[in-house]
Amino acid sequence: MSLFNRAEVIDENFTNLVLEGRFPTSNNEFSVSKINIISSQLISIFESQVLSRHMDLKARKLKNEGKCFYTIGSSGHEGNAVFGNIFSFNDMAFLHYRSGAFFLERSKQIKNSNPIYDMALSFMASSDDPISGGRHKVIGSKELNIPPQTSTIASHLPKAVGTAYSIDRAKDLSTIEKKLKTNSIVICSFGDASVNHSSALSAFNTASLIYNLGGHVPIVFICEDNGTGISVPTEDKWIEKIFKQRYGIKYIFTDGLHLLDLINKTEKAYEICRNKRVPVFLHMKTIRLMGHAGSDFEIGYKSLKEIEKNEFNDPLLHSSRILIENECLSKDDIISIYENSRKQIDHVFNYATLRPKLRTSLDVMEPLLKKPFKKKSPKHPINKYRKEVFDSEFSRLKRDNHMAKNINYCLKDIMLRYSNTLIFGQDVEKKGGVYSITSNLYNFFGSRRVFNSPVDETSIIGFAIGLSHNGFIPIPEIQFLAYYHNAQDQLRGEAATLSFFSRGKFANPMVLRIPGLAYQRGFGGHFHNENSLTVFRDVPGIILAVPSNGPDAVKMMRTAVKEAYEHGRIIIFVEPIALYTQKDLYKKGDKKWSFSYPSLEKEIGIGQYAVYGSGKELVIITYGNGLYLSLKAKKEIERMLRKKIKVVDLRWLSPINVSKLVEELDNSKYVLIVDECRRTGCYGEGLLVKLIEKSKKPLNIKLHAAEDSFISLGPSSTVTLPSKASIVKNAISLVNEQN
Amino acid sequence: MSKIRTLLICPGRGSYTKSEVGYLKLNKKYNMDIIDWIDKQRESKGLTKLKELDLISFKSSIHTSGENASPLIYACSISDFLSLNKKNFDFVCIIGNSMGWYTALALSGAVSLNNSYKIVQNMGSIMDLKGVGAQLIYPIIDDNWQIDEELLRYITNQVKKTKNFISIKLGGYVIIGGKEKSIEQLSNILPKKGVFPHTIPYHAAFHTPLLKKISSSIKKVISPSIFSKPSIPLVDGCGRAWSPFSTNSNDLWSYTFGEQILDTFDFTSALGNALKEWCPEKIILLGPGNSLGGPIGQILIKNKWLGYKSKKEFSFLQKVDPYLLSMGQKEQRAIIENF
Repeated sequence: MSLFNRAEVIDENFTNLVLEGRFPTSNNEFSVSKINIISSQLISIFESQVLSRHMDLKARKLKNEGKCFYTIGSSGHEGNAVFGNIFSFNDMAFLHYRSGAFFLERSKQIKNSNPIYDMALSFMASSDDPISGGRHKVIGSKELNIPPQTSTIASHLPKAVGTAYSIDRAKDLSTIEKKLKTNSIVICSFGDASVNHSSALSAFNTASLIYNLGGHVPIVFICEDNGTGISVPTEDKWIEKIFKQRYGIKYIFTDGLHLLDLINKTEKAYEICRNKRVPVFLHMKTIRLMGHAGSDFEIGYKSLKEIEKNEFNDPLLHSSRILIENECLSKDDIISIYENSRKQIDHVFNYATLRPKLRTSLDVMEPLLKKPFKKKSPKHPINKYRKEVFDSEFSRLKRDNHMAKNINYCLKDIMLRYSNTLIFGQDVEKKGGVYSITSNLYNFFGSRRVFNSPVDETSIIGFAIGLSHNGFIPIPEIQFLAYYHNAQDQLRGEAATLSFFSRGKFANPMVLRIPGLAYQRGFGGHFHNENSLTVFRDVPGIILAVPSNGPDAVKMMRTAVKEAYEHGRIIIFVEPIALYTQKDLYKKGDKKWSFSYPSLEKEIGIGQYAVYGSGKELVIITYGNGLYLSLKAKKEIERMLRKKIKVVDLRWLSPINVSKLVEELDNSKYVLIVDECRRTGCYGEGLLVKLIEKSKKPLNIKLHAAEDSFISLGPSSTVTLPSKASIVKNAISLVNEQN
Repeated sequence: MSKIRTLLICPGRGSYTKSEVGYLKLNKKYNMDIIDWIDKQRESKGLTKLKELDLISFKSSIHTSGENASPLIYACSISDFLSLNKKNFDFVCIIGNSMGWYTALALSGAVSLNNSYKIVQNMGSIMDLKGVGAQLIYPIIDDNWQIDEELLRYITNQVKKTKNFISIKLGGYVIIGGKEKSIEQLSNILPKKGVFPHTIPYHAAFHTPLLKKISSSIKKVISPSIFSKPSIPLVDGCGRAWSPFSTNSNDLWSYTFGEQILDTFDFTSALGNALKEWCPEKIILLGPGNSLGGPIGQILIKNKWLGYKSKKEFSFLQKVDPYLLSMGQKEQRAIIENF
């Protein structure tokens, strides 16, 4: 039994060893008198350590009874209570999942907190859990500035860097929407195995890079190094080897088993980070007890001798020895704290098992169905300021222009209206982005609001999440749609889930601009012509916009930023590159795809589609380049059919107002969906199914999408894609086949 | 039989009313040394003995003045506590309401019974001499004890506008403190609801920044050296816990005569925190009286504690198997004594 139930052994060992006075020793020579700490502070930290331990022990017992749903614990990592004590609750914390003691200790900094009860509810997946509402066991709290993390490995690090960067930026810009205190810092903890992950390396690199440029990144990276990644050992000096010499990041080692060393080094890290506004890497060497989780039996990959040696190094035993040696507590006091805590946790956890759970899909989805917050947008900018920004172009706003110019104008107005918007990405600064969409923004708004990023999409999106944690509305640019795939977890796993796992208490609004899709002339090849939006299709809660012309792009961009500002939403804004500078529709020089800049109040609501024509014989449903090609095809189809048709531009792909769209189809005989993206998994595929499901009458419907192929270079770059000719062909065959 | 995990609640000013005359005498521990000791102290200062006060017919001007009301309530509460059979109860946490905080300090062992009396007597007397301002009480619940959050927001705004302060958050009621004129102004603004808004006689603007002088005065009289670590956890008027081991007695003194006097006493949070962090099996409300019973029930409902959802439900369950046991209530006192 004891081979497997190490929790029981560790529990019994603690009491026995304390009573026997048999403690693990340490080479560390710190004593209470040598550091600036009082006995009550030390005891408080110890109390949090003990409570955290009992939470782990109790969670495992209740798991066996089927009442608790999470057993990844904090045992061995209880030294992080020191971080909870020393870092202010104003310092936003992105935490490792072994941070129970941290959470308990930080809670003492604020009034009216119930950390034991709140964590118990989380363990029990109760809908009463104030942070996730039973959606996950998370460590999080709005009041304590701890956004909940359910991190896929190390994926919370890039945003932590972004938040750290935001603090001084908000001060420089006097951003009224800022949420974090001016002198605060960010702390971010993670395990030793996680540091090898590309997301973590992206974060460290970005922090170094900003430091190199003279920027401020007040962040303390805390590596809680327990020497094991599930079953894989981390070589003893690995963390030290790779972080001791990292440029721009100050490395500090601390013994995670020794409270006084921890306090001393943490204070040092805090002081450097807070005063110098530079990144610090605090390396806490510790141990892991009871395996990775309740289901992980260490005996499968470690010898009993190793396990027992490790267990004798229990941080609670080290803390007890230190408290006794420094005459803060007696053995009896320690046992009393330990047993009283056991009782307290027992009762609170037992009570928490009785609290309600989420029952229905609507219960679970509630945070996805409501908007995280409600705020009113600032007023439109007045012409006096607009003239300054637009300069000589102000008088040309009424002239017809292509989409690229229209979006550029729109971003100028948006930056004027929303002073908390920031634009960043590769080349967006002086070059104005790869397609000049951000051209001249840097000249007027300066490098604090328009700045270049490293070519690292993980860093760019992580940065956006981090900045939005501090009240900014980031409008980052990813250069090409294919590049987004590098970084999709930052949106899928992090940004999109935040409101869900925090009941809307936290939000990370942003408008992510991505030039994308195919049909580019002279700039071929797959990676610049990626034609798949599938990666966005299954992410709950996000909004996907794909405009096809200048005025739509402007009006949709205004709505997107408004949604982000007023309701905390995440909007992906995919701009068809091939249409950026397109001016003509039917023939060269007709300028039928050039439009003047819409007046400031004009917007297009989410889900609002456009209808071209009123014919009833056939409806073509499409978006982006598909619209452009379908409109070209429309004339020819009408001529061939001798009947009028209509073309619907969806504009917004997530969400699509299917119910309304079905009404639109009501009097139409045939429906052709034209999707420029790869057939498998494209939006058109999903729409086809939904329309058939929702329609009250049988539909004569067909999907005409791109082939399941990558894009090639040169003249063949469009042969796998829908074309004007293929649309005509598909439309005619749909009508004729059915007749 | 295992001990009952019990949360103790000490009532504050306003709990000794006309119906409580003779409460102290009713207590089995009437002749206990501490009461005699208190009366000797009072006698030496020319104050009426508590035993006498407890027996004379109730007069607001006498029984609700600071120098009499506070010590009388204190004496009733501690004598109730001393009458409890400690073999039956495991006191997991103690909270107090307003002046009841001083009683809580005494019962937790953070301050001795004698010194706590000195605090209570000094505070009561200083309030009579230097207390400024007034208090009014206003309900924020409906008939079913559901808190009206919109009304609370409205009141909070009006309190700010009229330069008053939230003095105590008391379940379904808010007690507002401020200068007499400001309180009068607010009283004219708030919608009439039966007897509310009700200005509380003989009450100063407790728990507001107006008592800055009181805070300074009492700090000069009461030394931090009489404070020690509590032996039972306390939860204060900010909903913050004070542990038997990690409490810094200087911090406890500092809170008691600083923040506690000058800032809102959030009894709602104090009780909510004690419930959630200790999950007691029973609550014992010490005497005198039972006026805190309603607010306690309202806080239980607010937290959906034990599934309580309404006044009706709470009242019914209180009759069948009371979770809250008030020593000032005859039947419930009998239950406590028969455990």
